[in-house]
Amino acid sequence: MRPLDLTEKDPSKKITIYFEGKAYEAYEGEKIAVALLANGVYWLTTSTEGRKRGAFYFGPLPMVINGVKNTDGRKTPAKEGMRIERQNYGEFQEDVRIDEEKPLLRYVVDVAVIGAGPAGLGAVLEMQEHLTVALIEERSWLGGDFWLKGIRQEGFDGEPQEVISGMRAKFNQNVRLLLKTSALGVFDEGEYFLIPAVRGNQLIEILAKRVVLATGAVDNILLFENNDMPGVFRRAFALEVMNLWGVAPGRKVAVVGSRPEEMTVELERWGIDYVVVPNPKRAEGKESVERLIDMNGNTYEVDAVIVADGRRPDINPITQAGGRLRFRRGYYMPVLDAYHRIREGIYAAGSAVSIKPHYANYIEGRLAGARILKEFSFDAEPCIYEEKLREYEPEAVPLHRIESGSMNLEDVQICGCDVSLKKVHDAVESGISDLQIIKRLTHLAMGFCQGRFCLFNGALLVSQKTGVDMARIDLPVARPPIKNVRMKAVARRD
Amino acid sequence: MAERSEILIIGGGITGVALAHELARRGEDVVLLEKRFIGSGSTFRCGTGIRQQFNDEANVRLMKRSVELWKRYSEEYGFSFQQTGYLFLLYDEEEVEEFRRNIAIQNRFGVPTRLITPEEAKEIVPLLDISEVIAASWNPTDGKADPFHSTAAFALHAKEMGARLYERTEVKDIIVENGEIKGVKTSRGLFKTGIVVNATNAWAKLINAMAGIRTKIPIEPYKHQAVITQPIKPGSINPMVISFRYGHAYLTQTAHGGVVGGVGYEEGPTYDLSPSYEFLKEVSYYFTKIIPALGDLLILRTWAGYYAKTPDSNAAIGRINEVDEFYIAAGFSGHGFMMAPAVAEMMADLITKGRTSLPAWWFDPYRFERGELRTTAIQMG
Repeated sequence: MRPLDLTEKDPSKKITIYFEGKAYEAYEGEKIAVALLANGVYWLTTSTEGRKRGAFYFGPLPMVINGVKNTDGRKTPAKEGMRIERQNYGEFQEDVRIDEEKPLLRYVVDVAVIGAGPAGLGAVLEMQEHLTVALIEERSWLGGDFWLKGIRQEGFDGEPQEVISGMRAKFNQNVRLLLKTSALGVFDEGEYFLIPAVRGNQLIEILAKRVVLATGAVDNILLFENNDMPGVFRRAFALEVMNLWGVAPGRKVAVVGSRPEEMTVELERWGIDYVVVPNPKRAEGKESVERLIDMNGNTYEVDAVIVADGRRPDINPITQAGGRLRFRRGYYMPVLDAYHRIREGIYAAGSAVSIKPHYANYIEGRLAGARILKEFSFDAEPCIYEEKLREYEPEAVPLHRIESGSMNLEDVQICGCDVSLKKVHDAVESGISDLQIIKRLTHLAMGFCQGRFCLFNGALLVSQKTGVDMARIDLPVARPPIKNVRMKAVARRD
Repeated sequence: MAERSEILIIGGGITGVALAHELARRGEDVVLLEKRFIGSGSTFRCGTGIRQQFNDEANVRLMKRSVELWKRYSEEYGFSFQQTGYLFLLYDEEEVEEFRRNIAIQNRFGVPTRLITPEEAKEIVPLLDISEVIAASWNPTDGKADPFHSTAAFALHAKEMGARLYERTEVKDIIVENGEIKGVKTSRGLFKTGIVVNATNAWAKLINAMAGIRTKIPIEPYKHQAVITQPIKPGSINPMVISFRYGHAYLTQTAHGGVVGGVGYEEGPTYDLSPSYEFLKEVSYYFTKIIPALGDLLILRTWAGYYAKTPDSNAAIGRINEVDEFYIAAGFSGHGFMMAPAVAEMMADLITKGRTSLPAWWFDPYRFERGELRTTAIQMG
């Protein structure tokens, strides 16, 4: 087994890949970032300003794969003999083939469900008997965050992966499942909504009369020095490498953030040595994490740090689609009408709406589905789901105090696109209290994630520094495409 | 008590902000009102380009002065203004002829534009596909500036020199008594003043209406969209590259590294600013025709801003006589950002001295009523 393998892999799939000229053991189909992690390789790419980056916190993962620059190391599966090198963010492939003749795929359905976590699946199962549904999921699996959990979750009868497989087995002919497909936004098109999406570089246009945004939540980003260093993991990536790929994040890991228990149960299950550090100050190491220092000056010798600080709704798909937001329980969430819609025709469900147990998200998906069935004049009982959902009070997510006084702000990355906390802090200190201006002067929320991971901390800093209530901050609206798309994939006139 | 100022500017885009800056520099007592935040209307949504390659004397002269001022203030205040040139790619003899005429006008006023070969164009931007290009119009003294830092710098220095800028302050009405301006009603209360400048571009017709102006000054908002890609190596695309053949596209690299630009695609008149999927496809289609390598880049976002357009794509700049001391500088038709420093100087001349050495006559707001439209300005980037 490789140094960080937790499980034995199928020997028939064993291959060799080359990273920076050196041979490594990998397994066919494994994502490159995971294969290299299993071998203890964390530093995979370099940011524009020269910061070493791994695959599992923030920022993109452009790598040179078989000579092709700007290839996403998070998405590309390993193949025999593959040659992989690091690159800088700013490099790109100059010889590109643009295939204008490639056919456009177009699907017409009653309902488009974006996101196949428990909420999206709930909506699909509710509607599939009477309505045609396109289920669009960016990842390669169904079940979203729930699928990543290794242990039973309240409300469901079975292990997460069993439960999801059971749901998938129930899909009927009315369901068109689009995995590894990223929706680019929701656009009005007369009596339809148009949802353009891409799978690889294949452009797909989905026309639907109703839309369910089951677009989920994003991991909270914790601010400490060198929080972008290779070896730092967001909770979802840590869950993914352990529970999906059977690879440990490290030999000894530090768990930081306000929700350590979510991670420690999983680490214990795998027998990975860990320490919970409530107040991280600085990660250190040459090429990847070697130690973590806390605010009290304690040093922990670890080779990985997992940020387990919970999640907040991903507001980008909501605002792009025309939804409004409010601030409650420590996060921005969509304003819904009495029918669970952000506006006419567009429903929202799951952790895109509020943070609550997976089962409650599933029920909320069912509820959205039932509402849509009624709109199409089919029998449905949304009230039952509504009542059930009331049993689950959404969770509050704590607001951290940003300790700007006790950290070297230049080393704290608020955004994966080389926006240090110092840049944003200095802008606020200079008297600019408007997040809209700060965004444009510092490039916060203007890079790859379009604010998904960085905007909240920007708002929080402004709020804490100026005393403006989070609810009153003028938050930038997400612009399409809501996921990065290569220009060649959409370069067409039809 | 209501705030009082000699001069009140409505609109906190670059035009209003640069004017507040210029007036404050001259020691005038000035207030600026912006309904959202500085730059929020169209300035922060602009394509960043600054060019002197126009097709008439007035715009060439105005822009020549503007470039001088861009250079001066960028050096003084430390924001990014790069004279990396404008490169118009030409694909047929007819286009070349038209540009020869424009170049003659530009040269006459000291703008060093010249026709170059496709090979020379490729030396300037090695990523270009020149297979169909037969020549290019090249002026190395054109350029681009960072709209955020430049506008913020003008605002900051205007304040330092005594101008009072109020953001989140929406004008509700303009109080005119016996043809004289008395003040402006806003969401933040009354502002007393004797001189009002309408620098609201896309919203100019609303402000004119509030002042009771009946003169026909047709300025309509058109939705114009832009795109930006992931940042790439600095220096990949230095000049603003323009192609009429391919969708009236314009593109360049920002100081931050992303490739920014747009195409001729526009909708309106409308106040809607939602970016469209059609644009996303069209801009990608045309950009990859001009520079195929752009196909590899990730698109980060698209957005829309206004081209506040007049029938001849030239702004309305000057004094409106119906109401005493009411001025307008609006309807820039996509050129507000690049022109702002010179327009500010011209407007400040008109307000404080009643005359200017810059060609204000060309932008006479009464020309529409008189039916004396100008040559349509090249409306591009």
